[in-house]
Formats: sequence, structure tokens, C-alpha cells
Amino acid sequence: MNPPGSLAGLDPNLDEHLSTQILAPSVHSDNPQERIQARRLRIAARLEARRREALGEYLDGKKESEEDQSKSYKQKEESRLKLAKLLLCGTELVTNIQVAIDIREIHRRVEEEEIKRQRIEKLENEVKTSQDKFDEITSKWEEGKQKRIPQELWEMLNTQQLHCAGLLEDKNKLISELQQELKTKDDQYVKDLKKQSDDICLLLERMEEQVKNVMKTFREELYNIELEYLTNRMKKVEDYEKQLNRQRIWDCEEYNTIKIKLEQDVQILEQQLQQRKAIYQLNQEKLEYNLQVLKKRDEESTVIKSQQKRKINRLHDILNNLRSKYAKQIKQFQEENQSLTLDYKRLVLQFKELQKAMRHFALIDDEKFREIWLMNEEEAKDLIARAFDVDRIIHTHHLGLPWTAPDFWFLKNVGPISQQPQKSAMQIVEEMLMHTEKEEAEEAASEPESYLDLPKQISEKTTKKILMLLCDESGFLIESKLLSLLLPLEQNECYLLRLDAIFSFTVASQRWMNALHKPSLLLLGAEHPSAAQVRGLFDGMFEQPSCFLPQALGIESEDDLYKLVNFFLKYRAHRLSSSLQIKSCSQASVEKASMEETSMGSELELAEQTEMEGAKEESLVEGEKEEEEETPPSPWDIHPNDVLKILEAFVMGLKKPRDSRAPPRVQKNVRNNSKDSEYWQALTTVIPSSKQNLWDALYTALEKYHIVLTQRAKLLLENSSLEQQNTELQALLQQYLNSKINSELQVPPTQVLRVPTK
Amino acid sequence: MQDTVTTSALLDPSHSSVSTQDKSSTGGHTSSTGPQPSKPSITPVSAKSRNPHPGANFHRMRRIIAEDPEWSLAIVPLLTELCIQHIIRNFQKNPILKQMLPEHQQKVLNHLPPDLPLAVTANLIDNENYWLRCCMQRWPVCHVAHHGGSWKRMFFERHLENLLKHFIPGTTDPAVILDLLPLCRNYVRRVHVDQFLPPVQLPAQLRPGDQSDSGSEGEMEEPTVDHYQLGNLVAGLSHLEELDLVYDVKDCGMNFEWNLFLFTYRDCHSLAAAIKACHTLKIFKLTRSKVDDDKARIIIRSLLDHPVLEELDLSHNLIGDRGARGAAKLLSHSRLRVLNLANNQVRAPGAQSLAHALAHNTNLISLNLRLNCIEDEGGQALAHALQTNKCLTTLHLGGNELSEPTATLLSQVLAINTTLTSINLSCNHIGLDGGKQLLEGMSDNKTLLEFDLRLSDVAQESEYLIGQALYTNREAARQRALNRSHFMSTITANGPENSVG
Repeated sequence: MNPPGSLAGLDPNLDEHLSTQILAPSVHSDNPQERIQARRLRIAARLEARRREALGEYLDGKKESEEDQSKSYKQKEESRLKLAKLLLCGTELVTNIQVAIDIREIHRRVEEEEIKRQRIEKLENEVKTSQDKFDEITSKWEEGKQKRIPQELWEMLNTQQLHCAGLLEDKNKLISELQQELKTKDDQYVKDLKKQSDDICLLLERMEEQVKNVMKTFREELYNIELEYLTNRMKKVEDYEKQLNRQRIWDCEEYNTIKIKLEQDVQILEQQLQQRKAIYQLNQEKLEYNLQVLKKRDEESTVIKSQQKRKINRLHDILNNLRSKYAKQIKQFQEENQSLTLDYKRLVLQFKELQKAMRHFALIDDEKFREIWLMNEEEAKDLIARAFDVDRIIHTHHLGLPWTAPDFWFLKNVGPISQQPQKSAMQIVEEMLMHTEKEEAEEAASEPESYLDLPKQISEKTTKKILMLLCDESGFLIESKLLSLLLPLEQNECYLLRLDAIFSFTVASQRWMNALHKPSLLLLGAEHPSAAQVRGLFDGMFEQPSCFLPQALGIESEDDLYKLVNFFLKYRAHRLSSSLQIKSCSQASVEKASMEETSMGSELELAEQTEMEGAKEESLVEGEKEEEEETPPSPWDIHPNDVLKILEAFVMGLKKPRDSRAPPRVQKNVRNNSKDSEYWQALTTVIPSSKQNLWDALYTALEKYHIVLTQRAKLLLENSSLEQQNTELQALLQQYLNSKINSELQVPPTQVLRVPTK
Repeated sequence: MQDTVTTSALLDPSHSSVSTQDKSSTGGHTSSTGPQPSKPSITPVSAKSRNPHPGANFHRMRRIIAEDPEWSLAIVPLLTELCIQHIIRNFQKNPILKQMLPEHQQKVLNHLPPDLPLAVTANLIDNENYWLRCCMQRWPVCHVAHHGGSWKRMFFERHLENLLKHFIPGTTDPAVILDLLPLCRNYVRRVHVDQFLPPVQLPAQLRPGDQSDSGSEGEMEEPTVDHYQLGNLVAGLSHLEELDLVYDVKDCGMNFEWNLFLFTYRDCHSLAAAIKACHTLKIFKLTRSKVDDDKARIIIRSLLDHPVLEELDLSHNLIGDRGARGAAKLLSHSRLRVLNLANNQVRAPGAQSLAHALAHNTNLISLNLRLNCIEDEGGQALAHALQTNKCLTTLHLGGNELSEPTATLLSQVLAINTTLTSINLSCNHIGLDGGKQLLEGMSDNKTLLEFDLRLSDVAQESEYLIGQALYTNREAARQRALNRSHFMSTITANGPENSVG
């Protein structure tokens, strides 16, 4: 609390504020440093103000928080107000002089102005009057020049002189007046000077007084404040001393109590120490004993250790043995494994062979089965025929009834009852080719009975032509390997194989394909051994799994084939009808004729067929034929370029229905024997039981009849014997009679004799 | 000369040889010698007092005690001391200061005589202590605060002032001042001259003449009574900021002549040219110099568009309305912050032109028109201007024959304006009603801190109430200032003189 600091703090009046404003760096200063400083101060001040706002009024808060300080603060505030008032009053007192002088000066100025104005007026008046007078005098001089009389002149001169003197007197008076004024002014000036010096003296006095006063009051106030602070401090010191004393006493007491407590603790601890020592003794002994025990145990354990070591060695030996054994066994097992794998391979081969054999046997079995079947069937049919014969005979001969042959489905059956498999497309083609070949060979020869029951609507030629086209155009579907193989073959074979490749490359079930192919091969085999060889190769290729190629067209069955051919024709027709309707009219008629020719041929065939199959089908076929007649396509008109498009369209159309048909095909090679028993059963019941009853009845009747007849025969025999005897007798007679002449003998005696026998 | 050279050559090696054992004490040495510059330095004594901190370097101390170097050193003064003594003695011939170590420099400066020629010391010595001694020796009363707290500046400023005061054109050699110029140009910032002596011949011739005649004769011979031309001086001082001139003669005693107090046209022109060329000038004061309208206009014209001028004081002159019009023009063509036209002859038209300039001015802070005669017309114009002005804080209209109409307008201004802090309307004829109106205006004002209404015919009651309002304003302002500058260092009050102005 040094006096200058407190003084500065206690002098918080307005001047300080002003001075800070002047002294503090200004934002508008020319010095950039100062400007920065000023801005910093401003920012700091703002922050400070904000902080203070947040904290509430800083000084108030201080006042409230420091209750002890409030008294000194009050004193401070009081002193400040007092001093501010003093300073204000003092400055007012001092400046009062200045103000008083100012107003005096103003009054003086006003008066001076007034006086000046009056003086100027007066002077002007004076100038005017004196000018008049002077004019008068000068005019009189003119008059005087005219005067000739000395007396008058003298008189006039006297008056002039008087006038001049008057004028001069006036002027002098004025001058003296002004001088008088000046003098008074001088006096006044001196007075003013004196007064001003007095004023200055007064001012100085007052200032000194003021300074003294201020100093004194400042000192007093400072003294008061210091006193206040001092008393405050004294009070506080006393307080603190009291507190210290209290604290000391309290500490002493606490110290004593703590000391007692600690001493007690020490005693307790000593006791505990004794106890601990005893326990320690005990524990030591125990531990020594334990040590002994442990030593012994250690010895034991060393012994055991050595034993264990030995054991370990032994076990190691065993382990090595076992390992060697294990290795041996592994070797052994490996060998075994090898041998077994070899066995397995062999077995697989065997199995395959077996399968082949099985297949073979299956075929043979089939064949056998078929043969047996046929044999049995033949036998049965014989029997049935006999039965029918018998029945017919019975009916016609014995009963006299007309006999109609019973019509049963199984009667027509030939061979095993399995669903007659559809011929594969290849077979058809093969047959067709063969057929056409034959046709070519024996041109005019009557059409051989076609076992191809199918080219119903389409002539073979047409079909062939289409197929040839197809074959030529879609050669890309055939593997190049195959083409090279096919080269040396003759044309027909070549076509056949090509078509085969095109139609069905890798049908889903190869075996079935094989099964289908084999019979056809058998058919072909005799005539074309080379082709059969190729075929064998071909089959071999099929069997290799690597040859699985994408199905080219997927044409398998004859239905498909005919669909294809039909499709071709229809497509053609469609095209023709749309584009070449008029043009092809005449051609169509010609084609029609040719078609009819061909269809005539087929009609012949059909006629033959109808004999075998019945009237129903005939009508159907004829309907179809009529349809066929309406469509006039010619295979010759199909442009090779169209073939591919047609094929594509066909394949797209065919795909969908085919997919659904795929799965059941797999089961086809398993023969269905469900109907066999039925068949055979049906064969046994060719003759219905009613008929058998009839027959039984008839039999009895006939038996009776037979008996009668036998009797009759006996009788007849007797009769005959009698007759013989008779004849013998007759012969003898005749011989006798006709021994010489036969006729003579015969007629006359016999006639005579016979009539009575009959 | 050779002698000094050798000593200076010796100085460094000796110092280096000594330094090993001397270093322990040098730290304390400067601090011990600093506060006692007047103490005659006798080496044994200083050597004894060299170890002010015996505990600070105990080991070294012990070693020294063991070797006992102090004993011998106490008897023979150190070579450095001897050298310093020599340098001090021969400083005038061979000034060596900058080459020495700081502590030795200090020692030398402390013992240099203050009456060394300025040519040696001016640009060499910056030490304030030396200049303090110089000032104290020359002048019994020194207000260093008036010279920016720098003793050196004070010395040069007062020295220059002294020379100018006693310069007599024609007789005194101008070289006296011009020689000083290169020495003081970097230190003088303020030139305050309150007397310019006229040429001496004329008074001598005129002495036998009559007092009454002297006035007329003086007019005749006016061109010859020119004073010192400041042009060269002002151009030479590169840091001049304040120019405070009074063309006056002091202590003329019985030699009084009107001629002595003339401010001639030539003076005026040369002064105008000088201040126009001085671009660092911030404050220009020309008081009590019988400046009339024409001269004022010459000076003001030279100040137009001055880059840094902030304060213009032309008080106690004879400036009329035309001069005031010039000042108004200056207000709008400069960055003037303070304008003082106290005790002139400005009347209503001049005040009106000033008010017109003030209405849109953003620089002027203080305007003083004390003891003029602007009357109500000028007062009303100023009040109107204050309604739009947002910068002026201090306005002095004391002794201007103002009356009620001005008070009415001013009360309206008081209710609006928030920048004015001080108004002085003393020595006017405000009247009772005017006082009431001012009181009304005062009730809406929260910023005004001073309002002087003494001797202006205002009722005591209203004056008292205005005083109360001012008191509350002052308390609020103090609270604001405290809050704003709480963290700032406490600033010592400058004393009551601020409030007097």
C-alpha cells in the first residue's frame, strides 16, 4: 500500500478519464504499432466488459463479497467524492477569476464600442462644423481681396483672425479633450494593469491555496484511508492472533491426545511384537523340521528320478520299435492298397466287360425272348386257330349257326408285346435311301411293298430331296473329323452318315441311340461292310465321353423327321403363296399332277396296308392325303439359302415340346412286361366260358350222340360185317353169278338183292 | 593525441587480462555504480565494494581469499579505471564511447562534465542521465513532461528556443542557429518561442523620437522590422511536430515602441511557406501576434490539405469574419482536430461559415470561440450544425453575447447529441428561461460531463439541477472508464490544469 499508488487510485475524477483518453493509444493514430496496440486494448476492454457483465457488476460484487473491506471501501468512496467535490469547487473558484475578467472585458468592450461610436460621431460633427467654419473663413478671404479700404480690411482680418482662433480653439479643445480621455485611459490602463496584476496575484493565491488544500485533503484522506486500512488490519491481526492461539491450544491438546494414543499403540505393538517373536520361534522350529523332511524327500525324489529316467529310456526303445513297425505297416498297407487298386481296376474292366456281355446277353435275351415268344405265340395261335376251327366247325357243322371270327387285339399281335418302338429318323432315312436306290436300280419295277408305312403325305423323293438339301447346306454341323472319314464312302452312305450327324449328335442317351442304330446296322451290315466299319468307328466315337457334342438339330424319331419335312414344305408354301402366287399357278398345277402321281403310288401302298390294318386308318390317311394335295410345295423350289432359316425356325419350334419328352425316354429300354400276363391270359380266354359251356354241353350231347353213333357204328359194323358177309356172300354169289359175265351178274342179281337192304 | 591512442590500444588487452579475475564482480559492479553517479570514484573504495554478494560465489571467493588478490589491488587502481579517467579527461579532444563495454560507457557518462561542446556530444551521447545533468545545470526549473519525457530533447528544444529568443536580425550571426541545426535536427520535435526580437537599429534611431509619433513612423518603416525567418530552421528539423510562436517582445521596459510588436507581411509569408513545407507538423500555434484577417488567410491557405496537422491555435489575435471563413475552409480541407480562435473578432457571419463547415465535419473534436462576438445568429447556426455533427466533444462559446434563442436550440441539440462532453456558455446572457430550457435538454442527455453556465444570468436553481445531472453523467462515465481500463496500468492524473482550459 504505497502512497502514490493509492493516490492514483483515489483520484478517479473526470480528468483522469480525459487524460487516459489522451494518453491511451488511439485507433486513428498514424503509427501502425500504436493502432495495433489501441485495437488490442479495445478488444481486451470489450472482453473485460463482457466478463464483468457475466459476473454481475464487478465492483458491487466485490463490495458484497468482501464484507471486511466494505468499511475501507466506504472510506475510500467518501474520500473520493469529497476530493472530487473539492477539485471541482477549487477549479471553479480558480476559473471564476477568469470568467469574471472575461465578463469585465466584455463589458469594457461594449462600453468601449459605445464610447468609440460616440467619439467618432463627435469627431465627425466636429469635422463638419469646423469644415463649415473653414469654408466660411475661406469665402471671407475672397471677400477680403475685394476690400480696398484698409480699415475694413483690418477689421475683416481681425474677424478672420478671431474666426481662425475660434476654429483653432475648437480643435485644441477637442485635442485636449481627447488627450484628457487618453490620459484617463492611461490611468485606467494603469489601473487595469494593477487590477490584473491583483487578479493574477489572487489567481496565484487561489491556485496555491487550491494546491495546498488539495494536497492537504489528499493527505488527510490518504491518512484516513490508511488509518482505516490500518485499523482494519489491526483488527484482522488480532483476529488472526486469536485464531492462532486457539489453533495452538487446540493443536497442543490434539498433540497430547495423539501422543497418549500413540504410546498406547506402542505398548500394544510391543506386546504384539512379543507374541510375534514367540510365533516366530515356533515357526522356526516347524520350518526346521520341515526342512529335514524336505531334504529326505529330496533324496527320495532323486532316487525316483533315476528310476524314471531308466523307465524313460526303456520306453524310448519301445517307441522306436513301434515306429519301425508302424513304418513297415505303412509300407505294407501301401502295397496292399496298390494291389487293391489294381484289383479294382481290373474289376472295373471286368465289370465293363460284364456290362458289355450283359448288354450282349440282354440283346440275345431279347432275341431269345422274342423267339420264344414268337414260338409260344405261334403255338398259341395254332391252338387258337385250332380252337377257332373247332369252334367254327362246331358252329357250322354241329350247331348249324353262322360263325364269325372273334376280333381280339391280341390276335393280331406278333412278337413281344412291348410298345412297338418308333423307328429312328436314321432308319427312316436309311430305308428311304435304300428304297430310292432300289428304285433307281429297278426303275420301272413295280413299287415294292413299302415297309415304310409313313411317307403318307410326302413322297420319298421329296423327302430325299429335302434331306439332300439339308445335308448339303448344313454341313457345318458335322465335325471335320467325321467328314474326313466319310470321304471314301459312296454317296448314299455319305449322305446317311452326314444326316445322322446333323440330326442327332449326342442324343442324351447314347445307349439308346446305339440300340437304335444297331439293328439298322445289322440291316446295312450285310450289304455294305465298309459302311459298317465306319459306323463302328462312329459308335466308338460316341462312346468316348469327349465326343459329347451339342445336339445339332435333335431329330431322333421319325415323327420329328416328318415334321421337319412338313415344315420345310409348309414354309415354302407360305413363301410361295405370299410372293409367287400368280406366277406359280401353272407350275403348281404341274406339280400337282406330279404330286398326284406320287400320291397315287402311295395310295397303292395304302391300299395294301388297309388290307392289313383296317378301314379306319384308311379314311384317316386319305383325309390327310387330301390335305397334302392342297399344299403344293415342291422341294425343288426351296432355295438353298433358305434352308438355314427354315432350320432355325424349326429348331426353335421343336425345342419346347422336346424338352418335356426327354426324361421318360430313359426308361424305354426296360421292357414293359405288365401286359404280358394279360396278353397270355387273354390268349387263354379266346374261347369264352359260355362257349366252353356250350362246348361241354355239346360234348355231352355229342358224347351221347357218339355213343349212339358208336352203337350205330357197331351196328353199322355189324351191318357192314353183315353187309360184308352179305357182300361176300353176294360176291360169292356174284362170283358165282358173275363169274363169267360181270354186268350181267351185277345188275340183275344185285338189283334184286339191293333193294331189299336199303 | 598519441597518448590516448595508446591507452585505447591498451584498453582491450588489459581488460582481457583482468577480466578473468574481474568477472566475478562485474555483475554487481554496474548495479552498485548505477544508482550513485555522483560518487567520486576512488579505486580502492570501489574495489572494496566490489563484492556485494559474498555468498553468491562462495568457491571463487574462497580461492580469491586464499590467493589474496584484493590486497594488492586495493593499493594500485585498476588499469581500466585509469583508462576511463583518461578518456573522461580527454573526451572533448577524442571522444571514445561506443567502442567500450556497456559498464565502462556508463562510468564514463557518469563522470563527463555537462559543459562539453554540443558538437561532440549531440550525436554521440544518448544517455538521459548526462542530459539530465546538462539541463539541471542550465535551468533551475525543468518540466521534462513538456518535452515527451526526454531530457535530451528538452535540452535541445530549450537551447534552440533560447537562441531564437535572443536572435536579433542583422546583428546576430545566422550561423549560430544554422550550425546547431545538424546537431539538433533529430531531437527537436517542438519549437516554442514566445519572443522575436526586431532588428536593433530601428529602435536605436527611433529612441529620441516622440511616443506619439512612433506609431505613424513605424508604419512607414514596416518592411524593415522583419523578424527572424524560420524557413531554414523548420526545413532542417526533420521531426518537428509542434510550432508554438508568439511574435512579441518581453521585458521591453521603458523602451516600449509599437514597432516592437509588429507581425509583418514578410514574416507572415515566410512563416506560411515554412509550415507548408513541414509535413510532420501536427500542432501549430500563433498567439498574441496581432494576426489580422489577411495574415490569417495567408497562413490558413498554406495549411490547406496539410497531411498531418491536427491542432491550430490562433487565439488572442485580431481575426475577423474573413479569417473565420478561411478557418472554416480549412476545416473541410484538412484533418484538424482542435481549432482555437479564442479572443478574436469573429462575428455572426464568421461563426455561420464555421458552423456550415462543422455540420459535415468528422475530424474536429474541440472548437474554442471564447471572447468573440458571434451573437445569437452565429450561436444558432452552430447549434444547427451540432444537430448533424457526430464528432465534436468540446465547445467553448464563453463571452459571445449569446442569449435565449441559442439556448433553446442548444437544449434540442443536447437531447440528440451523444458525443459532446463539454460545453462552456459562461459570460453570456442566457437568461432565466434559457436556463430552464437548457435544463430540459440536459435531462435527456447522458454524455455531457461539463457545462459551464457561470455569469450567464441563469437561475441558481436550474444551474444546480444541471450540476446534478452532470454529476450523474460523470459518475456513469467514470464507471464506464473503470470497466474499460480496469486491466490497464493505473494512470497518474495530470493535475487540475486540464479542467481549467
